[in-house]
Amino acid sequence: MDAVMVAAARGAWCGLMKPLVVPGTLDSLGAIRAYVRETAQQAGIGQDAVYDLTLAVEEFATNAITHGYQEHGLSGDITVSAEQNDVEFIIRLEDTAPAFDPRTLAMPNEEDLAKPLEERGIGGLGVYLSVKVLDRFDYQRAGNRNCLTLAMNRASGTR
Amino acid sequence: MALTITFEMKDGVARVTLEGELDAGVAEQFRQVIENAAAQTPKRLVLFMDKLTFMASAGLRMLIYAKQKMGEGVDIYIIGAQHPVVRTLEMSGFHRSVYLKDTYEE
Repeated sequence: MDAVMVAAARGAWCGLMKPLVVPGTLDSLGAIRAYVRETAQQAGIGQDAVYDLTLAVEEFATNAITHGYQEHGLSGDITVSAEQNDVEFIIRLEDTAPAFDPRTLAMPNEEDLAKPLEERGIGGLGVYLSVKVLDRFDYQRAGNRNCLTLAMNRASGTR
Repeated sequence: MALTITFEMKDGVARVTLEGELDAGVAEQFRQVIENAAAQTPKRLVLFMDKLTFMASAGLRMLIYAKQKMGEGVDIYIIGAQHPVVRTLEMSGFHRSVYLKDTYEE
């Protein structure tokens, strides 16, 4: 393969990772899932790990939309981008809602999870599931943006 | 892919088929079906999930809602759920509160 073809191949690869910008409404969840699936599959992540990552992104996007934008009467975009290095496949989620660190959310503990449904509270399940399936999860406030990093190890990505 | 829900009452059993993707944006449709079903005081809720390809925690919250709305005595059956949906139910401990079956026998 000559240098021009290598550059073209790289360009095509980077093109697949172009960020997705959608309105911060629940109607956008389908497009967000499609973006995560497509980029994760392109990166060669295994089927179960693609589902898990899609679920995690979905849960954090839902939180940003409902708690970040809707409950404050605000509107704004959600930006989703994908990147990879030798170790990880990473999805970054950004919104411009007020600062909110999902790591501070109360999550169900073992005792809560053992309760029958009739005694269950409804909060915290989404973040609980997400944190459980992800290999790495990080939050940063950068200027007026909430930035979440959701990562899967590429080695475990063969699941 | 959107969510398609069908509901029928048969011999006191509420039968609900979920097809597509269940996320927070469409969970309200499911909640309304559960509410309609609960109003007919079924003895059992049977959810056919073989064509449900994705379920977020919004779906789990609807299962809690169904149990609390219909009452402790109304068993929930989940039929034919796909592997990732079963994993989500297991991770959240819901498999201890519902009957997970491959097929439904009357």
